[in-house]
Amino acid sequence: MGGDASYGNAVPPTPNPSPPLRGGRGITPAYAESLNMLSRTADNLYWLSRYVERAEYLARILEATLRLTALPLAYVGASNEWESAVATAGCSSAFLAAHKEANEENVVDFLAFSSDNPSSIRNCLELARHNARAVRTALTMEMWDAINGTWLELKRYGNGPSSREEVLRFLRWVQESSLRFDGSAYRTMLRNDAYWFSRLGVYVERADNTARILDVKYHLLLPENERVGGPLDYFQWSAILRTVSANTAYHWVYRDSVKPWFIADLLILKDEMPRSLSSCYEAIVRNLDSIASVYGRQGAAQRQARGIRTRLQNSRMDGIFQRGLHEFIGEFITENNRLGVAITEQFLV
Amino acid sequence: MRIRISHTTEYHYDVPPTGVIQVLRLTPRNHEGQYVVDWRIDLSQDCRLHPYEDAFGNITHSFTAEGPFDTLQVTVDGVVETQDTHGVVRGAIERFPPAMFLRDTDLTRADAAIVAFAEEARAAGDPLKMLHRLLELLNREMTFDTSPTQSSTTAAEAFALRRGVCQDLTHVFIAAARHLGIPARYVGGHFRRNDGVTMQEAGHAWSEAHVPELGWVAFDPTNGICATDAHIRVAVGLDYLGAAPVRGSRYGGAGETLKVAVEVAQASWQSQS
Repeated sequence: MGGDASYGNAVPPTPNPSPPLRGGRGITPAYAESLNMLSRTADNLYWLSRYVERAEYLARILEATLRLTALPLAYVGASNEWESAVATAGCSSAFLAAHKEANEENVVDFLAFSSDNPSSIRNCLELARHNARAVRTALTMEMWDAINGTWLELKRYGNGPSSREEVLRFLRWVQESSLRFDGSAYRTMLRNDAYWFSRLGVYVERADNTARILDVKYHLLLPENERVGGPLDYFQWSAILRTVSANTAYHWVYRDSVKPWFIADLLILKDEMPRSLSSCYEAIVRNLDSIASVYGRQGAAQRQARGIRTRLQNSRMDGIFQRGLHEFIGEFITENNRLGVAITEQFLV
Repeated sequence: MRIRISHTTEYHYDVPPTGVIQVLRLTPRNHEGQYVVDWRIDLSQDCRLHPYEDAFGNITHSFTAEGPFDTLQVTVDGVVETQDTHGVVRGAIERFPPAMFLRDTDLTRADAAIVAFAEEARAAGDPLKMLHRLLELLNREMTFDTSPTQSSTTAAEAFALRRGVCQDLTHVFIAAARHLGIPARYVGGHFRRNDGVTMQEAGHAWSEAHVPELGWVAFDPTNGICATDAHIRVAVGLDYLGAAPVRGSRYGGAGETLKVAVEVAQASWQSQS
């Protein structure tokens, strides 16, 4: 499988069609009797969360890559980390169409500031704010402040910071903005379908992101690749853990030096790890179940999510390695996208 | 179907024991046809419930309760979402190759009568047809009756009586299937009756047989059907002893009486708004 092939049917990084353009939609008959929310509102809330989560993830990748490339060449080897960052973000082909080679300058610009890249941090935050404005009344004051404030401050960064320190500060700021938005939602939203749809967006996107990291870096996690004490792998592994804030968690869970199969186990199967595939699916199933219980009906989205969750729960790492880590991750990304489509078809159109 | 299960096992002791040790196989796992939405085990005594997984992959809990106490109550309570898969069980935990389930046990050994009975089904053709034939014959041959058998009754004894509970019918089915060279195993679980009766005196049991190409297929000889979305699969084993919901022993005490109450009902969606 080539680097980009598995993203063939990825969630389109294209902007969510702007809400004002698709106005005039009535209550869809399916949910009219339970009188919950407009599917358009649900759609906006779902994508609002996805965009904020994606912006944070891009910031995480860039930060980890900046750290990795700041190390002496002898430690990190000759591989081009910037290329790998673009691949992890899932936009290699768009990048290569615009640039000949990947280096710090053009990758940071492309993933963070470029308005040509539909899923750059800037575009994600702008789209998030756009979606938020369309459903302003479904948001709490705190959420709106968080997202609107972020958008206003984004303008201050203009066309990109000039120095590495400033880039790092920017990436930190993006992560903090996401944290503020997420925390506001968690602390202030009424626990009804609006909340559950916004959570779904977070977790579907997060599962996709974690799977993409694994997809690009899987060759570093294969057991036979072990070169004990090799600094190259050590820094690469730490970078993977850092991308998902799992450096400390790793040592708590395994009480061992950094080993690739444990990293894979942590990011795929560990329920305790908030960015693991398994944990994301626990949350997806729970939120879909809450929606179904209020609407009094359920469908393909619930069934598919439970199916994926069941498979993750019934899997073991040695079994996954035996079948092929790369195939497993590839299948997961496809399944996760299929769930995204099922959610869209069932609730959002 | 969304099914709510509440399963209470209550022991009463005339002479209080000084301690009780038990192993519980009361917790279902997910597979393609079932998803556990919510599940909880509750004990009437303070003690540590130690969770682990047995060799078959069943979720198992063990505990030691220190006495003396008059009663001990184990309650499980939960909600399971099921789908009809026409009896085919996919995506479940499989720790052993199917051929392992050809192994005989004391409770499922086929005697001459069961062998003769199984041979009647052989003519049906391929394994799947044989199993369906067996299901049909057995359901007709044996009568459901709670009085003559106990949990230690073997397949041969029950078959000689032509009577028994779901456990006995399942043992006979397993014995016959294994005689025909088809791997078969015991499944303990619950069954939602569609006649409106929700209170039951015990859990349910049926068997799964391994059919080439289809994998494990669940046959319920008591009801004469393949498992549906009314079946909640909790534990598997070679026979009842391997999948028994509660097994244990006690130190001291006497005059133990056991009462089991199971409530299985279709859960309605709770309305929250």
